[in-house]
Amino acid sequence: MSQESLTPAELLQQRNRRTGMTIFQISWILVFVCLVIVNWQLRGNHPSWPPPGVSSPSALLPGLVTLGLLASAWLARAATRDLAAGRRAAFRRQWRAALGLGALFVLVMAYEWLSIPTSGIYSDVFRMMTAFHLLHALAIGLFMSMIARGADAGRVSAQNLWPAEGATSLWYFVVVAWLLFFPVLYLI
Amino acid sequence: MATITATPGLGTRSAEGAAIRAADLLRWSLDHKVIGLQYMASSLFFFIVGGTMAMLIRWELLTPALDLMADGTQYNALMTIHGSVMIFLWIIPMMAGFGNYLVPLMLGAKDMAFPWLNAFAFWLIPPAGLLMIAGWLVGPPEAGWTAYPPLSTLFSPDGQTMWAMSLHLLGVSSILGAINFVVTIRNMRPEGMTLWKMPLFVWAVLATAIIQVLATPFLTGGLTLLILDRTAGTSFFDPGSGGDVLLWQNVFWFYSHPAVYIMILPGFGMVSEVLAVHARKPVFGYRAIGLSSMSIALVGFTVWAHHMFTSLQPALRIPFMITSMIIAVPTGIKIFSWLGTIWGGKIRFTAAMLFALGFITLFVFGGIGGIFLAAVPIDIHLHDTYFVVGHFHFVLFGGSVFLIFSGIYHWFPKMTGRRMNERLGQLHFVTTYIGTFFTFVPQHIAGALGLPRRVAMYDPQFTNINTVISLAAFLLGISSLIFMYNILRSLNHGERVGGNPWRALTLEWATTSPPPPWNFRGDPVPFDDPYGYGSDESGAYLDAVDRRFPAPEESAGA
Repeated sequence: MSQESLTPAELLQQRNRRTGMTIFQISWILVFVCLVIVNWQLRGNHPSWPPPGVSSPSALLPGLVTLGLLASAWLARAATRDLAAGRRAAFRRQWRAALGLGALFVLVMAYEWLSIPTSGIYSDVFRMMTAFHLLHALAIGLFMSMIARGADAGRVSAQNLWPAEGATSLWYFVVVAWLLFFPVLYLI
Repeated sequence: MATITATPGLGTRSAEGAAIRAADLLRWSLDHKVIGLQYMASSLFFFIVGGTMAMLIRWELLTPALDLMADGTQYNALMTIHGSVMIFLWIIPMMAGFGNYLVPLMLGAKDMAFPWLNAFAFWLIPPAGLLMIAGWLVGPPEAGWTAYPPLSTLFSPDGQTMWAMSLHLLGVSSILGAINFVVTIRNMRPEGMTLWKMPLFVWAVLATAIIQVLATPFLTGGLTLLILDRTAGTSFFDPGSGGDVLLWQNVFWFYSHPAVYIMILPGFGMVSEVLAVHARKPVFGYRAIGLSSMSIALVGFTVWAHHMFTSLQPALRIPFMITSMIIAVPTGIKIFSWLGTIWGGKIRFTAAMLFALGFITLFVFGGIGGIFLAAVPIDIHLHDTYFVVGHFHFVLFGGSVFLIFSGIYHWFPKMTGRRMNERLGQLHFVTTYIGTFFTFVPQHIAGALGLPRRVAMYDPQFTNINTVISLAAFLLGISSLIFMYNILRSLNHGERVGGNPWRALTLEWATTSPPPPWNFRGDPVPFDDPYGYGSDESGAYLDAVDRRFPAPEESAGA
């Protein structure tokens, strides 16, 4: 729906929603920043990290699904643009692809969570951070799948774009939060 | 001038012209005025709960031995829940209540940006309060409101977990409420109301909301770890298993020091309004007050470790001492601006004004105590003594609570259409001022002499000073009863008022008292300068408001 066709009240509502989402993203990402700081402070107390006797997990598979996660964000963005332009088939195709990549990420990270050996503080931090992120990815992924069903039923459309736009913003959030965590958990 | 309008949401709203009834406060409503009053009513309830606990604490401390409590553990639980209730369920939500009620009115808007989210944020508070207090059923939290591990992880029963879950809910409520404020203030100001023409209360709410949005996530992170340590067998705060107790202190104070400003900044905004209106003078240094709110919000993020001087790496003490001293500067700017505002004014000694003036005197005293504690050598001597208790009660009771009282006397007529009884208000002020002074000044002295905080039994040499403190605290309890009686009495028997009984220039007064469901009939016209008292133009504007929204007697005669 074009901006010109919106009433002043609808324009204000759109502006409010976008501003509110941005502020929410800034605020909630700080929980993830807090957990990164927790990781730093805890590892700073140890001469080596992981502590002696604990092997660090391979970054290969998580790295690949991280690329998939980035691609899913791009697909969600493209899908929302298609929906805004009234191209519903293209929306459905790209949205479902984004969901598929998101689901793959969740599955791989759940496997990582389960496979890391229990080894005291290192695995505590690793599991806490990955689980915290996974919960967000799962919740927002479920929301995105509801949007897909809503689009199929015609409830989400160019005339009612905000659910898709909001879900895409939340998916960006999942991606940015993971980009904060991934280097701390696997690379540094 | 056009008014920007939020899209009306679904949900109950009071009928046109009808005052909000007590039963409305128990219902789901999207009306920001109802939600504001819900915040205030629930906060007053928790004020009574926390205040009763304070009375029990002071009763216990009348003598050096255990009197009321069976053991020190019961005392620990009592002071933990007293502190938590007063901070998280009384002062912070009460400030949110004022913000919810007043911000849309002051902006000439019909509601907040997100009415549903607004209601949801409020309705998280009752279950959170229930969780906190219900902890008593499973073994209450005993680690103090600061919940330092290992006290909160190894030595506190299951109520500590409920305490943490309660704070989680309150944190989410706080963030959602703050998002609503920022969006409302940014997007819904009327045409012509630039940032530099906003009422100072709105400036203060904006600064507070920024703090809430940026600081509360750290509390969320810390609480998540605390709950995991208590329930999932992790060891984030257990040094024996590779964790770190200082981790909690850092994360907790990174939120909780800014939280001090969450508790006081909206009050700073209120006092700016009250002083100007009741002194009939323009605010002195409008921009300085607005910017100092933002400075406090910003610098407030750099001082958290002054709560940890005794546990902090020594090299970090001086930097945090300096930032803690610096934050006194914007606060001092406000004090000077307020003094400049009342200087030469035609002061009306209403109850609202008395509490505002009382606040200035007490807050200066409490602030100076803060400078003492910001200085590393003195803080190390005074750490964990009653000096600290005296200081933060002085700034929270003499500061935040005095401002809440001032705000209630000032805006009660707008919210209810009736004025509170001034004579009772003055009695409330006198008893509260004397009670505050003689409760919290002797605590500074006792602390300087070495009386440790958070103990139920103490050295008999402190008996006399504790007796004075307890008696003064009981006077505070009585003064609070006077206040409650005044509220209840005035709800039914207070003098009826028109739209603008104080002849104030901000927009919330340019409508009926109480305002109609969508706040204004037609588009409100803000006066160009919200503090332009004393000019002919402001007099003409106020006369026009009086004619449009007269007191009921006048309208009956008209």
